[in-house]
Amino acid sequence: MNRTIIININSIVFHIEEDAYDTLRSYMIDIKKHFGNTAESKEILEDIENRIAEMFNERIQTGRKEVINLDDVQRVIEQMGRVSDFEESEGTTVEEDFRDEQQAGQAPHVEYVGKKLMRDPDDKMLGGVCSGLAHYFGIEPIWIRIVLVLFFLLGGSGVLAYIILWIVMPIAETRADKMAMRGEEPNLQNFKKSFDQEAKSFSETFSGTGERIGRGARTAGNLLSGCLGLIGKMIAWVMLIFAGLNLLGLFIFYMFNMMNLFGLENPMFFPPLKGLATNDAILALTFGFLAIAIPFFALFFWLTRILFKTDKLNSYLSLTMFAAWIVSIIGIIYYCIATSQDFREKSTINVQKSIQPQEVYYFTEKDIRVLDASEQDSLKSKFNIQLDGQDLRNYLHRDISIYFESIDSLSQPYIQYSYSAKGKTYQLASERAHNIAYEAIQEDKTLLFPSHFLLKKNALDRDQQVTVTVYLPQGAKVVLQREIEHKIRDISYWECRNNYPNENQQKYTEWTMSGVGLLCAQPPKPKEEEEVKSKKKALLDDVEIKKDSIIRIDGSNVTIEVKDNNVKINTKKEES
Amino acid sequence: MIAENTQTQMRKGILEYCILSIISRGEIYASDIIGELKKAQLLVVEGTLYPLLTRLKNNGLLSYTWKESSSGPPRKYYQITDEGRAVLSRLDVTWKELVFAVETSLQGRND
Repeated sequence: MNRTIIININSIVFHIEEDAYDTLRSYMIDIKKHFGNTAESKEILEDIENRIAEMFNERIQTGRKEVINLDDVQRVIEQMGRVSDFEESEGTTVEEDFRDEQQAGQAPHVEYVGKKLMRDPDDKMLGGVCSGLAHYFGIEPIWIRIVLVLFFLLGGSGVLAYIILWIVMPIAETRADKMAMRGEEPNLQNFKKSFDQEAKSFSETFSGTGERIGRGARTAGNLLSGCLGLIGKMIAWVMLIFAGLNLLGLFIFYMFNMMNLFGLENPMFFPPLKGLATNDAILALTFGFLAIAIPFFALFFWLTRILFKTDKLNSYLSLTMFAAWIVSIIGIIYYCIATSQDFREKSTINVQKSIQPQEVYYFTEKDIRVLDASEQDSLKSKFNIQLDGQDLRNYLHRDISIYFESIDSLSQPYIQYSYSAKGKTYQLASERAHNIAYEAIQEDKTLLFPSHFLLKKNALDRDQQVTVTVYLPQGAKVVLQREIEHKIRDISYWECRNNYPNENQQKYTEWTMSGVGLLCAQPPKPKEEEEVKSKKKALLDDVEIKKDSIIRIDGSNVTIEVKDNNVKINTKKEES
Repeated sequence: MIAENTQTQMRKGILEYCILSIISRGEIYASDIIGELKKAQLLVVEGTLYPLLTRLKNNGLLSYTWKESSSGPPRKYYQITDEGRAVLSRLDVTWKELVFAVETSLQGRND
C-alpha cells in the first residue's frame, strides 16, 4: 500500500504516490533554481509544468491507471531532461551569461541554501524541537538539550520555550522538508542520500519495537479479560465509572477555576491559585489539570479497551499525552518552587502618622465589608475595589496587630504603621509592602481601625502583615471597644473585662497609659463568694480549736453547740 | 573543454535557426517541435527547448496562441512573426555563407 498525494499542476489534479511526489518536487526545485526567478523564467517554468501535466495525462490515459508512480515521474524527467542536461546543451559560458543577466550583482556559483527551522521526527526525545534547533545551528542536539535543561533549572523558562517552539516549528515530514531542515540542496543526489539514510534508520529503530509493544499490550489485554471474567469485568466497570466521574469532576473544576481566572467570578476557587499572578495561575491550573487528568484518562481508555475491545490509541497521540503529562508534572514542581522562592525575603516599611491629642481615646474597628449608607464613599474610592459579594473575600487581608506603647506625657501622640510583605528579592518584597493600603481614621476622640487591609494593583498574596503601634503619652485614657479586641496584642483585654460587674455584656474596657504600657482602669470587683468561703473556713477552724462552744449564726436562729465531741444543732424559733 | 564549448556554441546557434525554420512552416505545438528536432538529432531533452522558445518570443520573433487540447491542459501553439521571418531570411543568407565558408575550409583541409 502506498500513500498518495493530490497535486495540482496548472489547475489539473493528479493523484501521485508519495515517493514519486518527492522526486518530482525536488526535480522542480532543481529546475527553478536553474532558471532563477524572473518573469522570463516564470514563463519557462510554466511551459515545463504544462508539458509535465500533459505527459502525466498521457501516461494515465495510455496506462489506464489513476495514480502517477515513481516510474512515470522518472520517465517524464528523462524526457524533459535534467538540469545537468540543460547545462550541457547550453554550455557553461551560456549559462554564466544567463546567470549574469538574471542575477546581476550576485556572485555566480555561490549558492546559499537557507536552512529551515523544523522539528526532526527521526531524532526526538519529545517533539524533536532540540534536534531541529541543532540542525538549524549545525551542532549536536545534545548541546541544545543540555542548555534547555539548564534553562529549566534556572527558572523554568525552558519549559515554556519548548512548548512554544513545539507549536511554532513545523514538523519535517517529507524528505524535501528534511533536506531543507538540514540545509542540503534539494537536488536529486541529496535526495537519494536522504532516502538511503532514512531507510537505514527506519529499519534499525522502528521496525521491531513498535510492533512488539503493540503485541505485548494486546496479549496483556486479552489475558486480563480472559482470566478475570465476570468479577473482573464488574471491577473494570466500577473503575471505569470512577475514572469517568473523576475526569468529569476534574474538568468541571478546571473550567470553573478558569472562569474565575478570566474574571467570571464563581464560588469554585482553588485557594493556592491566589498565590500566583493570573497568567501563571492559568498555566499552573492547566498543568495541574493535565497532571491529574491524563492518568485518569489513560485508565479510562485502557478500561474501555478491555471492556469494549476498541482499538488502541494512536501511538502518536499517546506519546503526546505522555509528554504533556511529564511537562505538567515538571510545570507544577516549577510553580511550587518558584512560589516558595517568592517568600524568601521579608521587607517592612514603617510609616508614622501623628494623631490629635485627646484626653480620652476611643479605639474601635470598622468592618469595611459592611457599607453603611451614611458613610462617605471614601474607603471605596481610596482602595478602588468593589465591596459586593464574594469578590471581596478573595482580596481582603486581616493580618493586623495593634500594640500600645507609652511616651512622655508631654509628647505628641502618634501611630506607627509597619507594613511587611515577602518576595523573591528584598526589592520585590518592599514593593509589595508598599502596595498595602491600611490606615486608621481619626474622628475626634475616636480612632477607627478598618477591619481588613487591601492590596493595591492586584498584588499577590505574599504573607502581607500590618503592625500598628499606637504611641500615647502617659496618663492618657483609652477606651477599647470590644470589636477591636482581637487585633490587640500584648495586653490582656479579657482580664480587664472581667473586672466589670457584668463582664459578658461589657462592650468596652477602660485603660490608662502608664510607664509600663496600658493598665486596666477598672478596679477588680469585690470577690464576694471567695470572702464567704474564707469566712466559713475560719469558722470551721474555730470549731476545731474550741472544744466547747456555742456558735450562733446571725439572723437565722440557728445555734450550734459543741460539747464533749458532740455537736448539737438547734433551730429554735425565737420567742417573740 | 574548449572543444565542448565550441560544440555547444555551434549547436546553440544552429538550434535557434532550426527552430525558427520549423515554426516558419506553420503553427506548431512545442512538443511537435521537439519531435522534429529529435528526428534531426539536434536535441535530446525537452527542457532545453522552453527557454529558447521563450527567448525568441520575447525578442519578438515568435508569437503563440492558446488552444484547447483533447488531452490535458490547453497548449501553446507557436507561429513566426514578420520580424521572425525577416530574421530567418537573414539567417538563411548567413547559413549559406557559413556553409560556403565551412565547405571551403574543409575542402582545403581534405586536399
